[in-house]
Amino acid sequence: MRRVSVDIGGTFTDCFVVWDDKYIEAKALTTHQNLALGFNEALGKACSELHIDLEEILSGVDSVRYATTLGTNALIEHRGPRIGMLVTAGFESTVPLSRGRGYGEGLDDLGKADLPGANRPDPLVLPHMIAGIRERLDAVGDVVMALDEDDVRIQIRKLVDKGAQALVVALVNSVVNPMHEQRIEEIFLKEYPPQLLGAIPVILSHQVAGRKGEYVRATSAIVDGYLHSTMYHALSSLEQNLRAHHYEKPMLVIHNSGGMAQLNSTDALQTIHSGPVSGISASEHLARECDLGNVIATDMGGTSYDIGIVVEGGIKHYDFNPVIDRWLVSVPMVHLVTLGAGGGSIATYDRMYNTVKVGPQSAGSDPGPACYDRGGLQATVTDADLVLGYLDPKNYAGGSIPLNPRRSTRAIEDALCDQLDLTVTDAALLIREKVDDNMANGLFTELRARGYDPKEFTMLAYGGNGPLHACGIARNLGINKILAPPMSSVFSAVGAGNMHQLHIHEKSLFMVLYDSNTRKIFDDYSRFNAIVSELREAGTQDLLRQGVSRGEIRHSLELDMRYGNQLVQTTAVIDFHEVHSASDVMKIIAQFSNDYGKRFGEGSQAPEAGIRINTIRVAAYVQLQTVKFDQIKPRAVGERLQPPAPSSHRKCSFVGQSGALETPVWLKSAIEPGVEIKGPAIVSSEVTTYLVDPGWTLVSAAQGAIWFLRDAT
Amino acid sequence: MTASTTETEAQRIAADQALVAKFLKDTTLFLAPDPEIMNEHDLAPRTAEEEDALARFSDPHTISRIRDRVQAGANEGFEMVEQMGAAPGAKWGDLITGIYTASGDLALCSAGGVLIFSALVHHPIKFIIKNWINDPTVGVRDGDGFIHNDSRYGNIHNTDQSMIVPVFWEGKLVCWVASTVHEGENGAIEPGGMPSMAESSFDEGLKMSPFRVVENFEIKKDILTFLQNSVREPKLQYEDMKVKLFACLRIKQRIEEILVSDGPMALTASLRGTLENVRKEVKRRLTEWPDMSVRTYMIQDSTLRENCLIKINLKVTKTGDRLIFDFRGSSPEFTNRANNTVLAGTKGMISQLFLCFIWPDLPRNQACFAPMEVITDPCSTVAASYAAPNSQSLMSIFTVFSASQHALGKFLYSCPEKYTKVIAPWFNMINTFIWGGLSQHGETLGNLCADLNGMGGGARSESDGQHGLSPIFATMSDIGEQELNEEEVPFLQLVSKKLTRDTQAPGKYRGGMGYQMMVATKDSDQWGFMTTTVGAKVPPIQGLFGGYACGTYPLSKVRNVDVYNVMRDNPEQFRHSIEEIMNNQPFPGAKYTTHHMGMGFELSKRGELYMISQGSGAGYGDLLERDPALVISDIEEDLISKPVARRLYKVAFDEDTLAIDVEGTKALRQAEREDRKKRGKPFKEFVKTWSKPLPPANLPFYGCWGDDVSVLYAGGPHDRRDANKPKPIFMRHPKDVKIEQLEAKLLALTGKTY
Repeated sequence: MRRVSVDIGGTFTDCFVVWDDKYIEAKALTTHQNLALGFNEALGKACSELHIDLEEILSGVDSVRYATTLGTNALIEHRGPRIGMLVTAGFESTVPLSRGRGYGEGLDDLGKADLPGANRPDPLVLPHMIAGIRERLDAVGDVVMALDEDDVRIQIRKLVDKGAQALVVALVNSVVNPMHEQRIEEIFLKEYPPQLLGAIPVILSHQVAGRKGEYVRATSAIVDGYLHSTMYHALSSLEQNLRAHHYEKPMLVIHNSGGMAQLNSTDALQTIHSGPVSGISASEHLARECDLGNVIATDMGGTSYDIGIVVEGGIKHYDFNPVIDRWLVSVPMVHLVTLGAGGGSIATYDRMYNTVKVGPQSAGSDPGPACYDRGGLQATVTDADLVLGYLDPKNYAGGSIPLNPRRSTRAIEDALCDQLDLTVTDAALLIREKVDDNMANGLFTELRARGYDPKEFTMLAYGGNGPLHACGIARNLGINKILAPPMSSVFSAVGAGNMHQLHIHEKSLFMVLYDSNTRKIFDDYSRFNAIVSELREAGTQDLLRQGVSRGEIRHSLELDMRYGNQLVQTTAVIDFHEVHSASDVMKIIAQFSNDYGKRFGEGSQAPEAGIRINTIRVAAYVQLQTVKFDQIKPRAVGERLQPPAPSSHRKCSFVGQSGALETPVWLKSAIEPGVEIKGPAIVSSEVTTYLVDPGWTLVSAAQGAIWFLRDAT
Repeated sequence: MTASTTETEAQRIAADQALVAKFLKDTTLFLAPDPEIMNEHDLAPRTAEEEDALARFSDPHTISRIRDRVQAGANEGFEMVEQMGAAPGAKWGDLITGIYTASGDLALCSAGGVLIFSALVHHPIKFIIKNWINDPTVGVRDGDGFIHNDSRYGNIHNTDQSMIVPVFWEGKLVCWVASTVHEGENGAIEPGGMPSMAESSFDEGLKMSPFRVVENFEIKKDILTFLQNSVREPKLQYEDMKVKLFACLRIKQRIEEILVSDGPMALTASLRGTLENVRKEVKRRLTEWPDMSVRTYMIQDSTLRENCLIKINLKVTKTGDRLIFDFRGSSPEFTNRANNTVLAGTKGMISQLFLCFIWPDLPRNQACFAPMEVITDPCSTVAASYAAPNSQSLMSIFTVFSASQHALGKFLYSCPEKYTKVIAPWFNMINTFIWGGLSQHGETLGNLCADLNGMGGGARSESDGQHGLSPIFATMSDIGEQELNEEEVPFLQLVSKKLTRDTQAPGKYRGGMGYQMMVATKDSDQWGFMTTTVGAKVPPIQGLFGGYACGTYPLSKVRNVDVYNVMRDNPEQFRHSIEEIMNNQPFPGAKYTTHHMGMGFELSKRGELYMISQGSGAGYGDLLERDPALVISDIEEDLISKPVARRLYKVAFDEDTLAIDVEGTKALRQAEREDRKKRGKPFKEFVKTWSKPLPPANLPFYGCWGDDVSVLYAGGPHDRRDANKPKPIFMRHPKDVKIEQLEAKLLALTGKTY
């Protein structure tokens, strides 16, 4: 297998090259003005390692895949076109009102609780750029009021005159009957044909999101429209760069649904968070290949802590209404939770409880922690880690960021020591304990809300600060095994290298499997089968268009179901795609009941209130060859190797231990697979620090993987 | 008489008293709401266990760690109810989960949801503790669950139902968990759970004092069947009882995990320590406020059955670390109208004010309001008696809220350290449609539109209010998705979310505006609506520091029309605003009417229009100081019309380009200031002409008049009462009044009586 995968992040462009049996990791700074430069530099480093030139690699690989945070950044920085929007008359304020709660989406608990201070985010569509269209469909798609085409022309003209650079059309109930949205597009294209210079893209809401909910669908279409040109131009320039270097195949773009597609089959919205989602995908692949069981994937960086769940049996955890930046949307995205906890999280005195509070404010990377010596004066988690002796001031981030311990000491003293009457070390220990608690609580809530017990999980810890805090977090959760995965410095790029081409199509509907009023069981099998077939075919066509042969295409079927009139839609994965009898219906009901019980507690099921399907979802995918992980399971106790002599020793303080402990330090490059090191210990590399708490044992494994195993008590 | 004789006599009297007390206790006919429980909102005294636990676990960091885990458990339970709940209230955020100490005090509740629920549920828990734990016929055991909804035992109104579950550890009660949801339907005289037609508590549907409905972690089917049989939506009753139970069990599980890892003493220390720390912090913050008194009032303009003026009178006094809310002088309770609230509801709503609008950074628990003091008259509409109906208590508690918010804004303005922005009163009424009947799927339903959550935000000291943001009683609540609603109910919102032009509350910063809703039944022959708010004639809020109150919002109806036929056959006739429909009357032969907002449940015919608007938050500061650019921006967004911009805000601008004429605006505003001076009078002179000794005879007025709070008026100048000697107020049935008026007309026309 020969393949290039890339994760273009806000700071670094990570590159992972598979060249037959060689796996090469390479990094370069992201070049925001021209992403191709950073990509070329990272790939160039990999080429040097392989002793092959760039053209040869690009002409020889089966694919080049991109995951990128470009869209996320464009949203945060508010870089996008002036959007005009057509909605059903009478719904002009639906988007500006953002379901009321839109003020707090993407904020922490305090931001949500502070009503006098509540402000909605700056709109992506200005209120006066929204026009009502005289038309109306009802819940089953019947026309209540026919589309007034003259009105459409007038409103379009007004929006264009006001400077609309993109047009979003989001009409009520368009997912059950898209005829009015489609007709508006026809009218628009006739008035403003695409061949005209400065053509305006048209985004129809039913094509972006297939489920009911006029607000979330409209927001999805708006975000898509907002990012469309930015993403199109950036990704197109990347593709041109590839062409210039003799890459002839289609460029593949990673989607936040956990799959990927060619650029021309990618909506801008689907690329948001594709980097972190690739990390979760890599975790899933690793768990399966190495038989790790249930895994919780955690990525702790400078400002945030991303969490994803991977469980055995292939159940995917999706967010069907994820929040992207500050916007609630309705496209299925691999479930990803981001907590405001990282190395830059700021520690302050909690006057009410006479203790320490950490985050959610962050010093970020600029000015960064006090020890960065870039003007930051507030105490952060990284400052605490430095004071406690875990970090080497001269070799942090491979020596690229010299740390000033005096700044850390001063910042912690100023923020906490007087109020808490503690020494700097004790205050730093408190910061450490608190931030680990915060992250453990986040993980705990995530797992418990889905009915899982943390003790049954292996924690995957990657990202710059992941292995440094992993033991503290796992201790609080009762987790006994932590794995810093192979190739962790480019782990998301590895995930991108393992993705399959995948397209998801879904349909909102009102399908009653059991009617509690009439006590009838669903028997309209042909309706169910026709919808599934239609969705399968839509996905099939997507893949055929990309050159995949029909025989390679696979499908999976998911049903969002609920009891009675609940809001929740528990997803049941159904392994048969046609229904022909009452027993088939009963199998679906049983599967739903099983999944629901796992999530909310056995006995919480309420079939007596009726059972409905709200969404039918079909994923069409093609399985491609994947990266092979070596067997990385930790060696049995008797087979482990002794470590070499440590390179140095440092005094380190640990939570729950009195006094500083003499802690040996190793360079990761000196540790071969199979070595066992008892905590307390530190293993440092250019990209991270592996901190082994007392009571834990480090065991190194193949491909640079590191295990942390809790000692038996 | 010798000393020993006196002593013997005293002992005999004491023994007699004890005997009588025992006899009375043993022969209690009925365990009515206990004033000892219901009048107390401060923390229960420390128990011996709490003393012991706090002595052994004094490390604030350990307590903090446990508190975070308890909080995570409450949040998880909240998410479960929101996800699994069937009631619209559950789906759109009108719910909460909480953890209570073994004594019943609310220690922590979920980060999201309706705080007032949890601020009230400590009352029924304390009732259970006092009456059921040691009762041999009841008892409290592991695996039990208690249901409750009667506001007289601690609730807002009986449309909200709670599930209360005790948590035991090694046979000992360590705490309680509870979940509360606005369920809607409760079998009252009108569907939807908030009957304004109720003339006594017996018209208000299910009234559940706390009783056991769960044993061995399972809902008892006999009781469930009885409850289902008592309401219009048996499915909802079943589903949500189960949901609340499983959410409580999930929180209980989390607590038990803490008990395993840290032990019961650590948990007890954490819960009690949290409460005491917060109470201490509240006292500290109060000392930062200026010592002063602020007086204000709010008006309810109807009982929901008839127009009248109901006064909520308030004086807030702060001295040292004490803050006293004195509601004396407010209207007496109405004996046969549902707009009264029990005292606990009044307190709960002020507690809500502190947690969401004054100190949103504080943990959400009972201690935030514990040190405050509240004074009321007996049998007041803000502290109603047991007999008074209260299913529409929102009318009173919301105006209590606004009066308190109005007064506290003045304290906060002068306070050096603020924890959020100084804000003018939020809009305070649930301007939404309550609905019920037979759905297009053949189900009997009764509930409401989530638009009640879209109240406009008050203007801030440095910025405009936010439109349709949140109700005053919850954060992160939701006004919903109409497409999802239409799947389940047989009516369409033909206008669903469209800000209502020219209805803003002006000021230097204007209030956030409300939006209009236009509904018509489509797919059912048995469907109807009701609306239950005040504010159609007198604004229910006031502006701050020269800002204005919102406008008034009537209910408009169009009868004798099927708008669905109009939209199909003559779509050009249909208009998408109340303003255009009511002013232009575009449907030939239709009947156009306006009403106050207390519409009792009314069956609607297909295609008849019912139209209302959500309201605007109040304005802040003098409107002549409003930045002209903001005025023009409001025109561009169609929030105000050009004439309003000119007439009200005195802004001069170009009709076509909207370019501001800076000098022209200056001149207009200067002229208006001069006019104000001309219109103005010296204060004494103003008082002489403005102030009247008695309330008007032509308007039914309820409450004190002027400064004297010892006398209350009950309908006009003719009915004066001693505030401390309550008497009933019976209102006549509006239909009887109307019949009498019509008979008088007939008599005048025909000379005959019928």
